[in-house]
Amino acid sequence: MSLIEIKDLKVHYPIRSGFWNRITDSVRAVDGVSFNIEAGETYGLVGESGSGKSTTGKSVVGLEKVTSGSIMYKGLDITKAENRRKLDYNHDVQMIFQDSLSSLNPRKRIEDIIAEPLRNFEHLSKDDEKLRVLQLLNIVGLDADALYKYPHQFSGGQRQRIGVARAVATNPKLIIADEPVSALDLSVQAQVLNFMKKIQREFGISYLFISHDLGVVRHMCNNIAIMNRGRLVEIGTRDDIYNHPLHIYTKRLLAAIPETDVNSREAHRASRLAVEQVYQDQQSKYYDENGAAYPLVQVTPTHAVALPQTIAQQLASQEGEVQA
Amino acid sequence: MAENFEQHSDISAADLARLTQEAQAEATPSTAKIIWSEFKADKPAMAALIIIVGFILFVMIGALFINTPKMMETNIMGYFNQPFTADFWLGADSAGRSVAKQLIVGSRNSIGIAIGLTVISSTFGICWGLISGYFNGYIDWGMQRIYDFMMMLPMTMMIIVLVTIIPHYNSVTLTFIFSIFYWEGTSRLIRSRTLAESEKDYVAASKASGTNHWKIIFREIMPNISSLIIVDCTLSFAENIGVETGLSYLGFGLPSQTPSLGTMIANANDPNNITQYWWTWLPAALEIIILCLSISYVGQVLRRAADSSQRQGSVN
Repeated sequence: MSLIEIKDLKVHYPIRSGFWNRITDSVRAVDGVSFNIEAGETYGLVGESGSGKSTTGKSVVGLEKVTSGSIMYKGLDITKAENRRKLDYNHDVQMIFQDSLSSLNPRKRIEDIIAEPLRNFEHLSKDDEKLRVLQLLNIVGLDADALYKYPHQFSGGQRQRIGVARAVATNPKLIIADEPVSALDLSVQAQVLNFMKKIQREFGISYLFISHDLGVVRHMCNNIAIMNRGRLVEIGTRDDIYNHPLHIYTKRLLAAIPETDVNSREAHRASRLAVEQVYQDQQSKYYDENGAAYPLVQVTPTHAVALPQTIAQQLASQEGEVQA
Repeated sequence: MAENFEQHSDISAADLARLTQEAQAEATPSTAKIIWSEFKADKPAMAALIIIVGFILFVMIGALFINTPKMMETNIMGYFNQPFTADFWLGADSAGRSVAKQLIVGSRNSIGIAIGLTVISSTFGICWGLISGYFNGYIDWGMQRIYDFMMMLPMTMMIIVLVTIIPHYNSVTLTFIFSIFYWEGTSRLIRSRTLAESEKDYVAASKASGTNHWKIIFREIMPNISSLIIVDCTLSFAENIGVETGLSYLGFGLPSQTPSLGTMIANANDPNNITQYWWTWLPAALEIIILCLSISYVGQVLRRAADSSQRQGSVN
């Protein structure tokens, strides 16, 4: 059984307008998303800005009010607040935020920030609590003298590691990492990512890794879901997504990865333009008449794509994949 | 689970005392220290603080030694006595009552009302604004309609009517009557900042850490808008001295046998007093000006202390 099973998750925001301020329409931020996260794996959720990936992540932590659908954890639907309370859900599921500065309360000392989940869930004695905070700081590579400082006294990378320390404080089973490194420069990105991997090995944590940086996702994730316009357009293993992309949106994302190979600059440019041309010409093939993605169809046991069955098979055979 | 952390970190219970000490050596100074160093860096504000604290202590203690009913008796022999004499340091008013003694008791009454009013109305206004802004939705809607209703009532007229209806009122009941009407401005101000603040990630992080709503409101959000709260409280304290004074000046504040800064300034109603008997009203007027200026100086220092980018003190 999977650690977390997300089924047909929908988050819609009402649009109010007119004289009576009635609900006239809704923004479909997340519109029917289903996937499972296994224990100990890193699941990548990729998409452009506004594709609904952060909303999905927040729904899984319980920060977002879900319109419909279910998120099953230990046999209970945690979209309901009473089930979250019953399970002490946030003891097991924590979050790392994108903006390390705004996610740490500027008026609290590092000790109080990291100890916050411990105080709510574990009720340790004062000394035990301080010891745990010191150990956590040590694990993320910060010195003990950080204990009584404030968040603004640290650099971006250090702050993000404090965020990681807070997330692992209760030894959770799943951490939602919402673009944890997109605000950091490249050398610090690698540092934080390696910390996250190290912690995953040592504590057996699963990650739901939300990102728009495909290079980072390739480094971190075994299974990847591509999200576009509130729906999943492609699910697969790392190999499926990077080497055998089927949906045009996935291909566009992959084409957008910058190449440093100067000698074949023209060739890259040509292939990029070709992908864009296909997207412009064949939009109607990849999206339905409302511009939304189709339901997912399975092409191999690990690989699913949001296309009508016939087109999916046709594309899959072009790619040279074996039909399951 | 604890052993899980033990395994992956080379820190154990034995290191706790040493590391705590190390951390304390590097600790950021406490808020009280920061505020104190701000005062030391700003001499006028330090003088203002000494004036306020000294003056409040002086009138609070001094008033205890004055027999108010006896002081307020008419003394025909002291009719508009000149100031700077042995019996009347600051002269006497038309009923021959000592202006100096009235000033002490009157300041105690006025400042007492201002402090009481600020504490009650600001506490209520801050709580109202925080709760309304944080919960949003229907709760916010309901609370803001109550607010709108209170704003709609003509404040001065309501206070005058209430004062007329209540048979035996004194400075305590007057404070409560004022408090009914003076929380609104604070609450709207606090609400608008809370709306912005509760959207920030650290609130989401607290929710994800399982902290309950009340703790988030009062332990997470409130400290982050503390500079706003401090500035608002100091300004409304200065303003609240004026509230009582103004109403007493109109004749609807404290009863006439209870001296206050307002009743003393009301002496200036008479053109004769303004030109000839200046000592009946000038001391009270000067006192209000000096107090309000001092309070706003102190408020500025507190605001600077709350905002690290504006600090002038040496401790950082």
